[in-house]
Amino acid sequence: MNRAIQQVLSVLIYGLSSAIGIGAFLAPFVLPTMQQGQPMGMAHASDAPLILTLLVGLCFGALLLEVQGQAVDTRVIALLGVLVAMNSVLRFLEVAMPGPGGFSPIFFLIVLTGYVYGGRFGFQMGAMTLLVSALITGTVGPWLPYQMFTAAWVGLSAPLCRPAVRLLRGEGGWIEVVVLALFSGGWGFVYGAMMNIWFWPFASGPATQHWQPGVALSDTLQRYAVFYLLTSFGWDLFRGIGNVALVLAFGRPTLRVLRRFHRRFGFRYHPPAPQYQ
Amino acid sequence: MNTPHSLSWILWLCSAVVAASATRNPLYLVLILLCLFIVAGSIHPAGEARPPIVSPFTFAAIVMLLAAAFNALTTHYGQTVIIRVPESIPIVGGNITLEAVLYGLTNGLTLSALFAAFTVLNLALPIRSLIQYIPRAFSPLAVVTSIAVSFVPVTLRQFGQIREAQAVRGHRLRGLRDWLPLFLPLLTGGLERALQLAEAMAARGFARADEKAHNIRMQVMLVAGLAALPAGLLLRLAWGQKLWGLLLLLAGAGLVLAVFWLISRRVPRTVYRRERWSWRDGVVLAGAGVVLVVFLALLPGIDRKALYYSPYPALTIPPFEPLVGLAILGLAGPLVSGMREGMRDQG
Repeated sequence: MNRAIQQVLSVLIYGLSSAIGIGAFLAPFVLPTMQQGQPMGMAHASDAPLILTLLVGLCFGALLLEVQGQAVDTRVIALLGVLVAMNSVLRFLEVAMPGPGGFSPIFFLIVLTGYVYGGRFGFQMGAMTLLVSALITGTVGPWLPYQMFTAAWVGLSAPLCRPAVRLLRGEGGWIEVVVLALFSGGWGFVYGAMMNIWFWPFASGPATQHWQPGVALSDTLQRYAVFYLLTSFGWDLFRGIGNVALVLAFGRPTLRVLRRFHRRFGFRYHPPAPQYQ
Repeated sequence: MNTPHSLSWILWLCSAVVAASATRNPLYLVLILLCLFIVAGSIHPAGEARPPIVSPFTFAAIVMLLAAAFNALTTHYGQTVIIRVPESIPIVGGNITLEAVLYGLTNGLTLSALFAAFTVLNLALPIRSLIQYIPRAFSPLAVVTSIAVSFVPVTLRQFGQIREAQAVRGHRLRGLRDWLPLFLPLLTGGLERALQLAEAMAARGFARADEKAHNIRMQVMLVAGLAALPAGLLLRLAWGQKLWGLLLLLAGAGLVLAVFWLISRRVPRTVYRRERWSWRDGVVLAGAGVVLVVFLALLPGIDRKALYYSPYPALTIPPFEPLVGLAILGLAGPLVSGMREGMRDQG
């Protein structure tokens, strides 16, 4: 009974914190419309981004707390630690020898581990990879919590590919790799677009590209589209293409290895009941 | 020389970030950046800290150039026209003004100052000093971070060994697929090491140490807190209920923070070598405190309007308040106190 209640509460925590996080990221589009026609709205326009930033931090903390409930198992902790180290090395190599545009090899393992080991594992893999790689490359900065949250979502959402793979009956074959490649490629763009949104309301520049309180939703979307196309699309294109190429090139053998170790890590020893004479 | 307390560096960082974010006056920003450059240039990397891949000087040069060019080409506002680009060219067509160049440069100065401040922190504090500030509520994740940081050099070494072994067999890197014989042994070897590590940890009694930390009461508090947060925000921003919205937001945040605190209390923390405060920390903290007070508090005799300079619509000389300028020099506290040597690893 307790276990069922815990599971319901867990789903609620996941749902609420993800919804708040998505809402906070999308706030620049919604807030100006909400504030139209009510006198207090404009007065709060300036403190809204700050409140939302604090809100994202709290939600991320709550979600991490819930997710780490699984990580008390030594096998999960060790597996996560070693895979995060490996992914951080990939980021280290990327920083030392920059690839074209926004290309980054880290999303490949985040997506694949999230897909094979589950969303919780993928969430931690995404968040911890960004944290550890920032520590070892000396790139800790105010952008780090947003990078951690967004990369965590990449891993958390990876199991969403499973229904598509099942529907296409492609498990273990090329169809599975193609689905994962398309998913990774899509995240290449979404990651960039989300990382822009957190600072977009603070950025300044021409009125056709920048956030302004009291503007209609369609106008805000149009402004962001222009801003994204001008400043980020070309950069993110390399990330998207790079993710697709990595999954297509390394996806099948990596999935095989991850699955083999999933079975080895998943064992449980149940000692036989003592026999009393 | 005494090693500085890591909290001194963190508070120094907070003051630098506040100063860089709170002003749009290029004169103050240049002064802030100069202080940060001098501290960054004189500091010796601590413990396993690595020199930054991009130095703050190079970063500043590139970012200021790009920010000035981008703003000048896309914002055609201001009275001092440098050049006129034909209107037929989309987006960049129009007047290129000196005001827009200065505005872009100011944006670049802010970004460069933030980058320089974090570079100093990354140089000054060893990684393990930063890990100790992961809240105790997230202790399993702190363990994961610690394992990952410890395994990074091992993984790099293993990568080098695999590359050498494959090179001996005649393997050459020509395309993307050629990385596979390097990546797969690295992944398999890493996963084997994870299995051994898990067994070693279980043998030392690590498993399920804080199972009770995650119970139904905590989950209920988290759900209630998370539900109150968006409700408060909607009341405040959408329906103009300022007071009720604020109360709900505070209640929600309080519940979430209370869960963090309750879980933290159950996790004991031991320190192998305790950091000590010295008079040098006092100098750094005093400097950081002066910066925070001047930039955040409404002090009599200090004209805060000088912080919010804008070059638009016509360029003017930015105002300069000498007291604010003097306060900014507080950021050079680590130099004055002789804390140029970063922290050694606390083991």
